Amino acid sequence: MILVGFAALALFAFTNHGGGVYKTNTGNVSFFSHTNVEDISAINHKVKTAFDASSGKIQFSVLVKDFEFAKALMQEHFNENYMESTKFPKATFNGMIENVEAIDFSTNGNYTANVMGELTIKGVTKEVSTTSTFKVNNGTVNGMTKFILNPEDYNIEIPKVVSNKISREIEITVDADYTHSH
Amino acid sequence: MKKTLIILIAILAVGFIGYKMYNKPHTDVQATEVLKSFSAEELFTVFDLGEAQAMAQFADQVIGVNGVVYQKDFGNELEPQIVLEANGDNGYIRCGFKPEEKSKLEKIKEGQSVKVKGLCKGINGSEELDLLADIDVVMSNCIIIE
Repeated sequence: MILVGFAALALFAFTNHGGGVYKTNTGNVSFFSHTNVEDISAINHKVKTAFDASSGKIQFSVLVKDFEFAKALMQEHFNENYMESTKFPKATFNGMIENVEAIDFSTNGNYTANVMGELTIKGVTKEVSTTSTFKVNNGTVNGMTKFILNPEDYNIEIPKVVSNKISREIEITVDADYTHSH
Repeated sequence: MKKTLIILIAILAVGFIGYKMYNKPHTDVQATEVLKSFSAEELFTVFDLGEAQAMAQFADQVIGVNGVVYQKDFGNELEPQIVLEANGDNGYIRCGFKPEEKSKLEKIKEGQSVKVKGLCKGINGSEELDLLADIDVVMSNCIIIE
């Protein structure tokens, strides 16, 4: 009986890929808009995100007002005119790491995975799919991805007068250091 | 001649105002009077019970908050943070600081009472996202008052 117990334990140890939930409240999300007239970028350092290493479920919650711009006026326009962030305070993502079983969270290394799910900005939800890297380093995991979104897909209207200053292809960068939470 | 001069001055004035507006500085937290001061529990309750109203009233305003430090979170070197107790296991106030404030935060101990001033940004976390069910009221550009 004890032997069976040990065998089960050994089997568990070999198949255990460092499951459980990985989390952070200090992830970075930034965006970058390039046109010939102006480059605009902003960053948020308090992104709440977590993933379940067993099921692959991954989620993000980002406070729109917490994006910091170099110029205060741009930040004001972003919040008041484009994002209406008092009315729509959060952007969220609810998705899956599709091939999570290919990531061995107990072995250091760089893994590539496809992340797919629903991105909600300004009350509009769209499917998004992006290739991400997960860097496992002694139990912590850095998740990183870049993808492009078009503001018009999320009801973000850009007035004609500034249309040459704001790109229709905004590059979003996600960079989060997760730690094992339980 | 006089007319041309007036037009020229008007153009210069508009240009100067435009330039000033374009380059207007971010809110100086240190120099701005707090709109309202809260205990950590009060601030959390205001946002938890009525996010829309709380956003309209306090978002992007300088507020004061005092509470007990639950945790120091230096997980992001670009913005050191402290977390104040507010509502048991699932409600906190998360205060973000400029990196140059970190030396002051290092002296603070978990369990200590602090008073913080900063820009209120809203409430983050979501009951619909089960992995992110612990909720924070978020403040940025904070400074330690005492």
